[in-house]
Amino acid sequence: MRSRRPPIAAFVPSLFFLSLIPFIFLTAVAQSDLETGENIAFAPPEPPTGVIALDHVYDCGEMIDISWTLSAADTAGGPVTGYEIFRAEADSFVSVSVLPLGTNTYSDEKIIAGTPYRYRVAALYTGGAVLSEITPPVSAGTEIINWNLLNLFVIGLFVCGAVIYYITHAKRGKKLFIRKIAGLEAIDEAIGRATEMGRPILFVPGINDMDDVQTIAGITILGKVAQVVAAYDIKINMPVSRSLVMTTARETIKEAYIGAGRPDAYNDDMVRYVTDEQFGYVAAVDGVMVREKPATCFYLGAFFAESLILAETGNSIGAIQIAGTAQPAQLPFFVAACDYTLIGEELFAASAYLSNEPKQLGSLKGQDVGKFVAMAAIIIGVIAATLAEFGAGSFFVELSDIMHKLFTVEN
Amino acid sequence: MGFWEIFGVWLAALLTLGIISFLYRDNAFYKACEAIFVGISAGYWAITYFWDNLYRKFYLQVSDPAGTEKYVPWIGFVLGILMLTRLFKKIGWLSRWPLAFIIGATAGLYMMTYFVSNAMVQISASILPVFEGSFGDIITNLLVSGGTFCGLVYFFFSKEHKGVFGGAARVGIWVLMLTFGASFGYTVMSRMSLMLGRLDFLFGDWLKLIK
Amino acid sequence: MKRNELIVYLLIVAFLLAAYFFFPKPLNFSAAVSIIIVVIMALAFILVFVRTIQGHFIGRRMVFVFVGVALLLPFFMQFKLPLQISPEVRSAYDALVNLPPGSRVLASYDYDPPSAPELQPMADAFIKYCFDHDLKVIIMGLWPQGPQQANLSIEAAFRENPALRNNIKYGVDYVNLGFQSGNEFVILRMGESFKAMFPTDLYNTPYDSIPLLKNIRNYSNVDMSFNFSAGRPGAVEWVQVAVDRYGLRIASCNTAVQAPQVYPYLESGQLLGLLGGMSGAAEFEDLTGKAGKASTYILSQSFAHVVVILFIIIGNVAFFREKRTKVD
Repeated sequence: MRSRRPPIAAFVPSLFFLSLIPFIFLTAVAQSDLETGENIAFAPPEPPTGVIALDHVYDCGEMIDISWTLSAADTAGGPVTGYEIFRAEADSFVSVSVLPLGTNTYSDEKIIAGTPYRYRVAALYTGGAVLSEITPPVSAGTEIINWNLLNLFVIGLFVCGAVIYYITHAKRGKKLFIRKIAGLEAIDEAIGRATEMGRPILFVPGINDMDDVQTIAGITILGKVAQVVAAYDIKINMPVSRSLVMTTARETIKEAYIGAGRPDAYNDDMVRYVTDEQFGYVAAVDGVMVREKPATCFYLGAFFAESLILAETGNSIGAIQIAGTAQPAQLPFFVAACDYTLIGEELFAASAYLSNEPKQLGSLKGQDVGKFVAMAAIIIGVIAATLAEFGAGSFFVELSDIMHKLFTVEN
Repeated sequence: MGFWEIFGVWLAALLTLGIISFLYRDNAFYKACEAIFVGISAGYWAITYFWDNLYRKFYLQVSDPAGTEKYVPWIGFVLGILMLTRLFKKIGWLSRWPLAFIIGATAGLYMMTYFVSNAMVQISASILPVFEGSFGDIITNLLVSGGTFCGLVYFFFSKEHKGVFGGAARVGIWVLMLTFGASFGYTVMSRMSLMLGRLDFLFGDWLKLIK
Repeated sequence: MKRNELIVYLLIVAFLLAAYFFFPKPLNFSAAVSIIIVVIMALAFILVFVRTIQGHFIGRRMVFVFVGVALLLPFFMQFKLPLQISPEVRSAYDALVNLPPGSRVLASYDYDPPSAPELQPMADAFIKYCFDHDLKVIIMGLWPQGPQQANLSIEAAFRENPALRNNIKYGVDYVNLGFQSGNEFVILRMGESFKAMFPTDLYNTPYDSIPLLKNIRNYSNVDMSFNFSAGRPGAVEWVQVAVDRYGLRIASCNTAVQAPQVYPYLESGQLLGLLGGMSGAAEFEDLTGKAGKASTYILSQSFAHVVVILFIIIGNVAFFREKRTKVD
């Protein structure tokens, strides 16, 4: 007689395959979840820690800076989706801002100065938010003095003090030494040429207004030129592009004529307003140059793109040209096309030298003190930095750092 | 293109050619174009100043019922009226007050901004270890630090340029001239670019020879 | 007027009329014609050089003709010059590229139409890049014509890519605050409040009604600034006030005249980058992939520079020749 397989054995393979079905199903669900992009539920992430709220320094009580350490779960593919800042004035917290993940600072500007606030930061995730600890109360205050700018204050005080000292010195009649400016002889020579040839002088004070110190320097030199013009009865032609400059120039020339004892010879038409527009002005001045053919052209003030146009036209009519400007971009053209150029501060030095005015002389000397400070700083700093590079000792490293910090302004 | 656009292009082209004709010599065509340009620019700036300053900055602000600073523009208005007193001999001295205000305000603003941006930061940037890096870096650092120092020496007016000091001043003026040369080259590029713009207009927008 | 001058004027008028009515449009020179032109110009230069050595100097007006020809003829040639990107343009571009989408960029248009040939190509490339990369642009101007130049840039971007008209919304993706007079005082006041200087935009919409400006109070709410500057007020004032006082990050786009003045600010780290003149514009167009006028002009620019260099050499020869003649 043959034995039979027990009945349960027949079900084992079936049971095996049946037990696989839930796993297959769960895998399919997980796979479809991944394919459709649905987030699988995570446990709540760690909250942000180390939340600090501080008054923003050196303002008018307008800002509180909040910083925190990112949640440990703030990683690529992690559960954190961002951060939310909450602020409380009394007991209830209100949302102030929502920030993207990876952010660990925020400046709250929607505050009232002097009012205490408490903050907490929430790490956001799909299930909600996880809150940090609450910060102690902080209020925004006004700081009158920005101590970060102490170096600027000291150096500025020193240089300005030097200017005031020398102005006072000059006002008391003490002589201040200024080396001779070579361009001043050229001015006298140029005026002399116009006298000999009996042709007019053209004076262009630049295209900026009276708030520009270059225009003021140009008008000061005009005063000197006008004295000679008035004394020798030379015609002067001065087209200007600003109405204030026109009125100031007219006063200057009129005073020169009165000083020379020839008030009747003065005419307001010597100084004419043309236009504020840069190239309109230079087109008009070019026309004046070509038609009236002045013997001497002075370009003393602030110039821009029109400088070369003026200088080239003056060159083409054979005029002697004296220029002076502190505009670095225009100096090359004046140097190339004019007979003499007062470079940068030489314009102000010439103005001070000619006017002998205590304020101008004192300012120039005071500025020299500033230049001396700069030269000393560069020499000391370069030597210290170079020696530090060669490993000459920590003293030179520190000295180099001090020199850098002394002239660095933090905002 | 409509009629007025074509008219505008032709007018602009003829005015451009009129101004360019000055390169040959002064002529009646150039004089007419110059007069048109001067007149239009004077009128344009008058209108711009009226609408941007008198209307926008003064009238709109003082007539705004909800404005918090609507009394402040009156200060500027009064100063502006005082400026006009220049036209009258007897009261012309009043115009010195607004002039003093303008000069004082801009001096106050410029004093620290120029001191920080053009002096302090530049001094800090000039403090460089001279013999660091490649040969090119050494030359650069020498030029920057040495050139700045010698340039300052050139503009020092309290001492005669004699001896070693005079030598440094001479190096300074050479560095300045090199800088002017580089600046001149840059500006030649600028002038050529402006001419290119005009040629593009003449041969592109007007004659349609350029795509 | 002399008879010869009259003939020349009539010839010029005839040429212009012929160009307007009869020349093929657009006019393009083949490679062979371009090479022939270059050879003729080179021969002309050799002739001028030889005559200068012989003591016959050419007049100013002939120099103008040479420069004019050098500027004009490359417009019709098909050459393309390789472009080398300078470090200062690269750093300005990198600063822009590193901004994530949604960043806010303050663009100050401080120039007028006379400076447009240099600055408009930079401005066009900048706006096109911003629109393509979801950078929000806040436009303003310290020169009266600046905001209208900005509108020209925007129109150019829409013309090149009409789909942008639907995607880019005024008030959401960009806003034009218009012009404000006051020069550096405007920059100073904006450090506290943009709204104080621009209570409405160019179209009189109140500041608070504009969605893009909702959370923008002052410079601290702006990620970066691009300044297109032709003079004063411009790059220098922005550095002195906005950068040194308020810490605004700025890249500067300048005319070639102003660029040498601005380089010290780049070297000291006050600027992120610098685009100077036509070459800066061409390099920026190349980096952003937005080829425009600057890329077209750069060939003419290069030809003109070669002409100027050759005339500088000839001029020096003439100077020393004349000096020797006087000594003799």
